[in-house]
Amino acid sequence: MYRILEKKELAPKHIMYRIEAPHVARKVQPGQFVIVRAFPNGERIPLTPVMWDREEGWIVLITFVRGKTTMRMANELKPGDSILNVAGPLGNPAPIEKFGRVLAVGLSAGIVEVFPIAKALQEAGNDVTTLHVAPAPMAILKDEFTESVSRHIFEGFEIQEGWGTKEIVAEIARRGAEKVKELLSEENFDFVLTVGPAGAQKAVFNVVKEFGIPMHADLHPIMVDGTGMCGSCRVTVGGEVKFACIDGPGFDAYKVDWDELIHRVGFYTDLEKRALEEYLKSLRGE
Amino acid sequence: MAVRRKLIKERVPTPERPAEERIHDFKEVNLGYTFELAVKEAERCLQCPANYAPCIKGCPVHINIPGFIGKLVEYRDDPDKAVKEALKVIWACNSLPATTGRVCPQEDQCEMNCVMGKVGDKINIGKLERFVADYAREKGIDEELLFEMVPKIEKKGQKVAIIGAGPAGLTAAGELAKLGYDVTIYEALHEPGGVLMYGIPEFRLPKSIVESEIDKLRKLGVKILTDHIVGKTVTIEELLEEYDAVFIGSGAGTPRLINAPGINLNGIYTANEFLTRVNLMKAYLFPEYDTPVKVGKRVIVIGAGNTAMDAARSARRFGAEVIIAYRRGEEDVSARIEEVEHAKEEGIKFEYFINPVEFIGDENGNVKAVKFEKMKPLDERDKRGKRKIVGTGEYVTIEADTVIIAIGKHPNRLIINTPGLKVERGRIVVDENMMTSIPGVFAGGDAIRGEATVILAMGDGRRAAKAIHEYLTKKREGKENA
Repeated sequence: MYRILEKKELAPKHIMYRIEAPHVARKVQPGQFVIVRAFPNGERIPLTPVMWDREEGWIVLITFVRGKTTMRMANELKPGDSILNVAGPLGNPAPIEKFGRVLAVGLSAGIVEVFPIAKALQEAGNDVTTLHVAPAPMAILKDEFTESVSRHIFEGFEIQEGWGTKEIVAEIARRGAEKVKELLSEENFDFVLTVGPAGAQKAVFNVVKEFGIPMHADLHPIMVDGTGMCGSCRVTVGGEVKFACIDGPGFDAYKVDWDELIHRVGFYTDLEKRALEEYLKSLRGE
Repeated sequence: MAVRRKLIKERVPTPERPAEERIHDFKEVNLGYTFELAVKEAERCLQCPANYAPCIKGCPVHINIPGFIGKLVEYRDDPDKAVKEALKVIWACNSLPATTGRVCPQEDQCEMNCVMGKVGDKINIGKLERFVADYAREKGIDEELLFEMVPKIEKKGQKVAIIGAGPAGLTAAGELAKLGYDVTIYEALHEPGGVLMYGIPEFRLPKSIVESEIDKLRKLGVKILTDHIVGKTVTIEELLEEYDAVFIGSGAGTPRLINAPGINLNGIYTANEFLTRVNLMKAYLFPEYDTPVKVGKRVIVIGAGNTAMDAARSARRFGAEVIIAYRRGEEDVSARIEEVEHAKEEGIKFEYFINPVEFIGDENGNVKAVKFEKMKPLDERDKRGKRKIVGTGEYVTIEADTVIIAIGKHPNRLIINTPGLKVERGRIVVDENMMTSIPGVFAGGDAIRGEATVILAMGDGRRAAKAIHEYLTKKREGKENA
């Protein structure tokens, strides 16, 4: 059981939890993640420690409320409550080397995972520019980025009337690709890093590819155990089957089979929708 | 004075739920003995002396089988007393009898050499063991025994870390706790039990029973840390700084995949993923439980071991038509006979001598069929005694919207990458005392064997516990003499 020390809404749908988890805080490296189970009948979901204090033994997780589990956490968990399970750290650390000028792109909520990696890259002597592409009200961690890296850019946009998730994600992909193209055309970068929805990452990759700059992508396939025992998170990288939880989550973007990944992350969309609808019904007392 | 008994040739049957009823739920198939039936079956035992009894030799943890069966007959007029005495005998060698009584392949172990087999049916040892454990649990007799045992344990003042809360680790932990060691288990998942929780389905081994057996270990003083992944959360090196000895029982949890085009299409599960979703996460109760699983109208399970049977029978309970596809023939099937029969009763079809060469998908990236090459057997046999097979160059395509791969597992990579740990073909190497290449670090179960059985893992756990006890006794005495 892992106590919630602090909980805060950073922006619409973005909830920050500071959680007592000394076993993770002691060991976690930028790029690694945890698997969280919040409720007795709950599922296991992967989340990324955004900040941590090794001595005090806490980690910060920021969830984006996108379905039943994240919504239930937002609605039902209070400071002082406990999260049932926080397993980790899992996965491999991101490559923290001296690349030179780095562009680190966070697409939508992917920005929370960019934070620890970008900060470590800057500390390792890189000149890091971070770019956050999201709907305007969802600008988060602006001050933290500004303090930690050379330059932070927020590329926001207004959500148009009648837009659903699909349109918003498409806009993130479009804007992300456009802004990256602009930056790469005007300046020299040695390394690009992205985190975010698979479709938007692919759109950014297609731009980076034109410039031939090395690119590292943190992938978000569906996970269950996170320890390499099931293969739910398998991805094709360089023609080989890899398990993102133990071989990744970060891979060379040039080797990833993006279309396969996009198919796989959508496999449970109908059931995810149903779980959320049933939960909303129960909230309304139906 | 020995009592002359009449030979009763036929086994007392255990009631089972009919196939047409049980395929609609995940409740237990076999209902087990009542006390009366158990005594009737126990009376058939010829009570071979313990130093000879072939059944004891066949049991990997050497339970005194005639000993516990005899208690049921001796105290037949006092069921509580009978079960308490029988459980005492079993517990001397086995801390998880409700589990082993259900999942051991008794026909290849204790029951294999039962002398009753020469004149009639072998004694139903597994179901008798299960009866004792179940009755004891229902009546609180096991709690009573624990209450008597715990205060008598003499503390040794030495600490042992166990990696993995599966059958090997739980057994080693139980034995070491009984010997007075301070034992902590490190488990990666959120529930202890290993394959007993995530792999074996509820209809063969109810999870509440596994939980209750593990609770007894906690009452013996065993501590269990879940969410701790050794190799990530903590390393073996760090454990050695804090503990006097370490036991690795991390199993063989990495699924083998088929190297064929289309393996990553949607709808293709490894058996481990499918069974973890269904058993550990209770996806069969979605949306009451949050974890989803998708079972189509037609499911192909590839492989014919126990894992394949478990996956096939689980898929059947979602209402699917299920086909087991095996590259060899019926006589080569490695699953337990009882499981194969249950699968057939439940309407699962078997296709032999076909080997998958391609998974075919639709335009949305979902699997829609599997292309198989037809195989034929040769006269030669491989190292395991199975017939060798070759492709015929002929192909057959079978439609399916869900495919479950159950062709085996490897030991977990996170553990075997430990520096200094000697590994061969992905398995941890141990000496005759179950010690690895790192002094003070022992290993057992699937981590050293590759994929084997629950009871072999338990046998290893017990042997390793003995070896750890000897190792720590020397260490303790060395310190005292120094």
